Amino acid sequence: MTKNANQWQQLPKFPTSHFVDSRIYTDEQIFHEEREKIFNKCWIIACHESEIPNAYDYRTFRHPGGTNLIVVRGEDMKVRSFYNICPHRGNTLLYDPVGNAKRITCIFHAWSFDTKGNCVDITREKEGFQNRFCKADAGLREVRTEIGFGGFVWVNTDDNACTLKEYIGSALDMLVPCMEEELEVFHYHKAIVNTNYKLWHDTNSEFYHDYMHYFNRVTGMLQPGYFDRKYVGYPNGHASVGSMTIKYDAYEGSKERGVGWPNLSPGGWILIDIFPGMTYNLRTSVLRMDTSIPLGPDKLIIEFRGLGLKRDTPQERMQRIFDHNTIWGPFGRNLHEDLLGVHGQGRAMNRLSDQTWVIHGREENMTIHDEGGMRHFYAEWSRRMGRKAYDPYGEKLISAAA
Amino acid sequence: MDRVAIEELVYQSCLLLDDKDFKGYLDLCAPEFRYTITAHSPEIRKDMIWLDHDRNGMQTLFTQLPRHNSDHSPLTRHATVYKVQCDEAQQQANVVSALQVFKTNLDGGATELFAVGRYLDTFKLNGGKPLLAKRVVKLDTRMFGFGYHIPF
Repeated sequence: MTKNANQWQQLPKFPTSHFVDSRIYTDEQIFHEEREKIFNKCWIIACHESEIPNAYDYRTFRHPGGTNLIVVRGEDMKVRSFYNICPHRGNTLLYDPVGNAKRITCIFHAWSFDTKGNCVDITREKEGFQNRFCKADAGLREVRTEIGFGGFVWVNTDDNACTLKEYIGSALDMLVPCMEEELEVFHYHKAIVNTNYKLWHDTNSEFYHDYMHYFNRVTGMLQPGYFDRKYVGYPNGHASVGSMTIKYDAYEGSKERGVGWPNLSPGGWILIDIFPGMTYNLRTSVLRMDTSIPLGPDKLIIEFRGLGLKRDTPQERMQRIFDHNTIWGPFGRNLHEDLLGVHGQGRAMNRLSDQTWVIHGREENMTIHDEGGMRHFYAEWSRRMGRKAYDPYGEKLISAAA
Repeated sequence: MDRVAIEELVYQSCLLLDDKDFKGYLDLCAPEFRYTITAHSPEIRKDMIWLDHDRNGMQTLFTQLPRHNSDHSPLTRHATVYKVQCDEAQQQANVVSALQVFKTNLDGGATELFAVGRYLDTFKLNGGKPLLAKRVVKLDTRMFGFGYHIPF
């Protein structure tokens, strides 16, 4: 039965925790608030420590809160982060994504900084500033930085935030034993998609969309144990999905993965979503890390990393790369399908569209096709935003479950 | 060595893939054919392999793709052969071509530049009937929006 305009606008017949107003994916004001209340308050992955292995190595990072950062390993091998902004005239200090710099020197007027963020040279300092301003007044803005949970470099622009350990809590407990050895990034690429960051995180937070993936249907959904995988929600909006044994050889041209992963059962698969836009995805032989950098309510950069073990032999590494590429590389079977999915959502739910609700209503005892992972995310989103995801403008006068 | 025959084979490979004539494409390839897509990531300071298949692997890939959900916008591959180096003793030629890939949206037909890179090809000369033995697609472009399934 089709719906007329009035019926289309009707509240879904679910509890209010089980649907959201689709304007949270398109509204410019909500996006600005998300930058302030979420991205500039939460711990965010900037890069992996293997990307800056040596003293003075740096990596630039487009922080989703809006300010570009420099992540740099000092002479003391400690990793620190700073705004990538010269405190003089606001120019970008480092332009390249990576490099090695004992001194960070602004190309504009040659002010120079060390890897601890101290200003070490102001050209013609005395002549111009006399005793009114000096190097000690010109340090870089440092951003809290911690390395952890697989060697990722986490940053937090909020000086008053809790520690990374407190932020993660027990959410990554299932993966911690799998990340005791040193990891190394072997794959990196970005995609820009015209969609909202939450929709990508949703895709990583539900497996009901396995119907979209031929590979996942034959290697997972049709196999024993698939419907036993369970979602678990954790404080701060994180969620995990338990493992099963994937039957890779059920897909023609694929075979059982010969290279495994420490402390993960053969064929195992653990996925953990970290609020607000990061996903650990350990699939038997490869750890994939997605990090979201929203550029606007309807524009998103997703960074994709593939990681193996630092101690890999060349043969093991090649196998991990092959496994990664089959489904997750830029030409992989699943990644294009997932991106096509969120691209389609972005297209359908544009800001002029009459889309009203997005339903997260499946309840299957928190097993794999339950949409509880998304509901858990939006509960945290609502708490941090001070807005109800189902009624972000307080206009629906919903007093109880519809 | 017949340079024209080699150049035509490079161009033929583009046309066949554009037409999704995968059988025709593989008919241009030697039994030992190997296809690889590579790119360099300055972000992680590493060369990357994004796809790597032998002839059977490519055959399987082409067989499987219709079972997947894909963007159906057609691609147009444009190659320009820059350099042909012949090794008569080995009966092979190494060929470098510039590659541009354009994507034309199904809805409305707008065309965009999708990727640039190079074909680094090795041909078996095969007594005047050259066959493609190895193709490395060395990409400069590393961002493809929501992506694509069919290789270049």
